[in-house]
Amino acid sequence: MNEAEAPVDGALYAARQKIYPRDIKGRFQRLRVYAVFALLGLYYVLPWIRWGERQAVLFDLPARKFHIFGLTLWPQDFYFLTWLLIIAALALFFFTALAGRLFCGYACPQTVWTETFVWIERWVEGSRTQQMKLARAPLSGAKLLRKGTKYFLWLAFALWTGFTFVGYFTPITELAGNVVTFSTGPWETFWVLFYGGATYVNAGFMREQVCKYMCPYARFQSAMFDQDTLIITYDEKRGEPRGARKKGSDPKAAGLGDCVDCTVCVQVCPTGIDIRKGLQYECIACAACIDACDEVMAKVGYPKGLIRYDTQSGLEGKAKHVLRPRTIIYGSLIALLIAGFAYTITHRNLVAVDVIRDRNALFRELPGGLIENVYSVKILNKDAAGHGFSITADGLPGLQVDYGTDVVEVGAGDVQSVAVRLRVPRGELKGGSDILFTIRTQDERALEATGKARFLVPTN
Amino acid sequence: MRKASGEYTGRLRWPRLGQDLAIVAWPSFLVASVATMVCFGFIDPVLVGNDDYPPPAFQTRMTGYAVGFFFFWLIAALSSLMTLYLVRTANPEPPDERTDEGTAEGTRSPE
Repeated sequence: MNEAEAPVDGALYAARQKIYPRDIKGRFQRLRVYAVFALLGLYYVLPWIRWGERQAVLFDLPARKFHIFGLTLWPQDFYFLTWLLIIAALALFFFTALAGRLFCGYACPQTVWTETFVWIERWVEGSRTQQMKLARAPLSGAKLLRKGTKYFLWLAFALWTGFTFVGYFTPITELAGNVVTFSTGPWETFWVLFYGGATYVNAGFMREQVCKYMCPYARFQSAMFDQDTLIITYDEKRGEPRGARKKGSDPKAAGLGDCVDCTVCVQVCPTGIDIRKGLQYECIACAACIDACDEVMAKVGYPKGLIRYDTQSGLEGKAKHVLRPRTIIYGSLIALLIAGFAYTITHRNLVAVDVIRDRNALFRELPGGLIENVYSVKILNKDAAGHGFSITADGLPGLQVDYGTDVVEVGAGDVQSVAVRLRVPRGELKGGSDILFTIRTQDERALEATGKARFLVPTN
Repeated sequence: MRKASGEYTGRLRWPRLGQDLAIVAWPSFLVASVATMVCFGFIDPVLVGNDDYPPPAFQTRMTGYAVGFFFFWLIAALSSLMTLYLVRTANPEPPDERTDEGTAEGTRSPE
């Protein structure tokens, strides 16, 4: 038993030892750097992009409207968000079935921000050995300066992150102005600090501990894995028995496999596991061990890929299946949902109507044998242009509609409430009847919506 | 594990209290986020209690959202806490596998 499997109970109460992952270069690490730049670039730049008069992407919570480029979503469109979440979840299943924890290694915010914080740390404190030396060094002015610089840079970056986050919910140019003049609103200030603080703690201190103790995905990933899922794996058949050897000696003669037991794969691991023990739930699929091992294999003159992306079937020398029931079902479900989403969002009705009965009186009896009911008709115009609307009502013979004017003007992305009076000759009417209100645009852009309400008459 | 360099001792664990805090705070945070979205997708906070009497519950929407979020977080955290407590205090061994040491009289298995 080695120390990694040391008494669990004792370890539970011990403070965690900080992991100093060793810096490593290689093709997968390059890919991860690109991913960090692409995703963080998107995150920090997006709120600054303009779309006509307004911010292109703005989740305007105070106004209860979400703007995403040309699209404006209202609370009534809430189900689109649910739909999006379902697509995202399915996509996660799909990619996990295909290639394991791609999300963790390349796209998870936790990974991406941690990566940035590690870069800052390396830039200020130097390499892994220098960092560990600094940590052991006695307190001195130089140490304080280095540590202080690191924490200051982390803090600045975290605050900028929090500021950007709030910039998705309040117009960011205004927010920037308020920050400069120290006049941000109480909630804006609070959320900047909250999100900035969370970034600072998560990416600066908790790091991969979040993946190990807090992430549910790490625990249920295996439900999506099968024999054909690409995972990061050590080729045991080729590597074992591992062991150090002399340069130029024949490993086969010494009864050794290809693993030279240099433990570089362990040193680069951000979660501190040994990949040679097989797939473990702590593995976030960052592929650092692949790059590290490839480098070592190249140095000792063995073929690369002792640690590599491979499938269980591939390791056993069987055929690989990218297309299999699991991926086909996930894939077609996602395609179907995305197509449906795109169709619905482009064909959704841009006007809506909400009819509420006047609460003060059920009905009024007018001279001439007329019964009157009053309604509040709310017209919602989600279109990017203003429209004039007519209101009609059906459901009773001889129905008269009166709302003061002929055309109700409703601005772009606006709501207008109109008092509508319906009058019907008393005649044979008994009890209540259903009335269908229709609002219709009075210009070349034909849009309409209907809303139901009850028409009440005296019972005697 | 490499012992020569001395940095990997295998004790790469959070203390129990840290784990517990994370296990309670994080899932409830996720649940509270979703609950807040769903709740305020349907309810406009400035319209809550906005009849003639009593006065509206929230002066601004942002206050309503924030109060709602922290309320949901608190409720979900209480649930997480109780779940964690039950999991942590459960006896992992089924009655018939318990030994004599430290086992209550009533649960001892018949030999």
